[in-house]
Amino acid sequence: MQTTSSTITRRQFLRRSTVATAAMAAPSILPSHVFGESAPSKIITVGVIGAGNIATAHLDALLGYADSVRILGICDVDRERRESAAARVNRAYGSNVCRAHADFRELNRRADIDTVYICTPDHWHALNGIDAIRQGKDIYIEKPMTLTIAEGRALVEAAQRHQRVVQHGTWQRSMKRFHDVVSFVRSGEFGKLERIECPISPNNRHIGATWVPEPVPEGLDWDMWLGPSPWRPYHSLGCHYNFRFIAANASGQITNLGAHCLDIGQWALDMDRSGPVEVEGHGDFPTTGLFTTAGTVDLTFRYASGMTMRCFTSYEGGGNNSARFIGERGWLDIGYAKMSASDPKLLRELQARHAGVRIPSSKNHYDDFFAAVRSRQGTIANAETAHRTTTVCNLGTIAMTLGRKLRWDPVSETFVGDEMANRLRRRAMRAPWSLA
Amino acid sequence: MSSTPANIPVATTPVIESTPVPKSYAKSIATTSDPWDVCLTLEYGGDRSFAWSIHQQVTHTPPASWTQVEDRLLASLAVPACTAAACAFFCEMLALVGSARSVPVLASLLRQPNTRESARYALEAIPGAEVDTALRDALAELTGDAKAGLIGTIAARQDAAASSAKPSPR
Repeated sequence: MQTTSSTITRRQFLRRSTVATAAMAAPSILPSHVFGESAPSKIITVGVIGAGNIATAHLDALLGYADSVRILGICDVDRERRESAAARVNRAYGSNVCRAHADFRELNRRADIDTVYICTPDHWHALNGIDAIRQGKDIYIEKPMTLTIAEGRALVEAAQRHQRVVQHGTWQRSMKRFHDVVSFVRSGEFGKLERIECPISPNNRHIGATWVPEPVPEGLDWDMWLGPSPWRPYHSLGCHYNFRFIAANASGQITNLGAHCLDIGQWALDMDRSGPVEVEGHGDFPTTGLFTTAGTVDLTFRYASGMTMRCFTSYEGGGNNSARFIGERGWLDIGYAKMSASDPKLLRELQARHAGVRIPSSKNHYDDFFAAVRSRQGTIANAETAHRTTTVCNLGTIAMTLGRKLRWDPVSETFVGDEMANRLRRRAMRAPWSLA
Repeated sequence: MSSTPANIPVATTPVIESTPVPKSYAKSIATTSDPWDVCLTLEYGGDRSFAWSIHQQVTHTPPASWTQVEDRLLASLAVPACTAAACAFFCEMLALVGSARSVPVLASLLRQPNTRESARYALEAIPGAEVDTALRDALAELTGDAKAGLIGTIAARQDAAASSAKPSPR
């Protein structure tokens, strides 16, 4: 087995990518037709909604675009987070151009903001994103694109109606190794593909069987944090990062991590406008305590071609966001930090040019987004693609919740013969929030 | 099951007039291990294992038997001692199996401040013209955020109906 290993964190990857492509961003290098009607020298202005963990990484990267991007607004329902993030940006710029907002609607309505980065918990994605789109903003939206299948389709339609650019936070699409494996597989040069496997980490948050509600901290608008999700009392462990493990706000590791590797699988299977036709498996849900998403999962998605993609909890290597492609010639395991194969020859072939397929590529997820903003062309991870990947995750969540095999029609986007599953394609929003 | 801490206000219980309390709930909750009985006292932060048992029962009920579990959920909602957290949970289950039979109870809960959100979530998921009528009838009676939520639910149901009539683009 040949292994190529480079241990980098996601933040390091984003930073290196920005530095490496700073020259690329210079207008004199890019052909003028790329920019359409917008002048290459136009600064793209950015607002960021959600100033938590992933937003910090985005700010690291965006501040590296000193000549072409300006961050003008930070929104968060937590005063300390929004003020410290805005202050950080202003220190970097040496000015007070960046303002802090408590309400995303205020940020989205700023005429001086071109694009919005949506870095809020999953239950907010659809509202934040569709509102921004309706206000004429292009959006970079973190994965999973939406909490429910219905929200996803609504966001796709909104982007189409308002002709807005959408980039999904599935940044692995802008890594060469993933483009290589997709090309390798789709060209047929990898041979007959038998199945894809995507390991993910288990939920890593635990709490006792019961919990005691806590006073809401000073400066946190808990009602706004909950937003469209059902009311519950505040607990520090049920806020901010841990939203991932509470079913009212997210779907656990299948959307937190699975969205990355399942996205690569969808890409390799050329399913960016479709999806599986069947899902089965199980999840082990905690029956007590604050956290309600499955702690471990094992799901198999079956496509009309017979191909299967399995997403399962692994305690070894789940942190690599990897997808393993298993075929008649052996296997390739491609992750953002490490690659390996059953045969070193496969790794060499992986990196060669693959004839017969032309698959859109991107060298940098930010550059790709900004280029699309200027040219009005599509991104590498557009809204439809994002919705289809997120739907795979949601199909898995619904199958685990109901504990049974489900059949799915990717054309009508409905479950076949399962009314209960169909009802779970959407959720009511807490008043006064709605997509209307 | 943990008791409610002293500094957390006791949730007001919904009162549904005109619906008789089923005999099965007349016995003391403290002496039964029936999850349906214990779940009536569910509190936020409390032991939710009984709710999980009911969740499993509901999600594994075949469609031909939904009426039975629906009746049980409605009976639970009729109990005066049903806590706000329990009401929210039972309404969440009704969203999965509810039918036109649930509309009278949910429409009544829709008009009460402590239960209107939970009732609306359930109504939004239940198909049928009876739900549409109930939602429209409630429009004139609600104000502020509650009315905004209702309008959102009506719009979401119209969107769902429109979406189901056309295939998605390939």
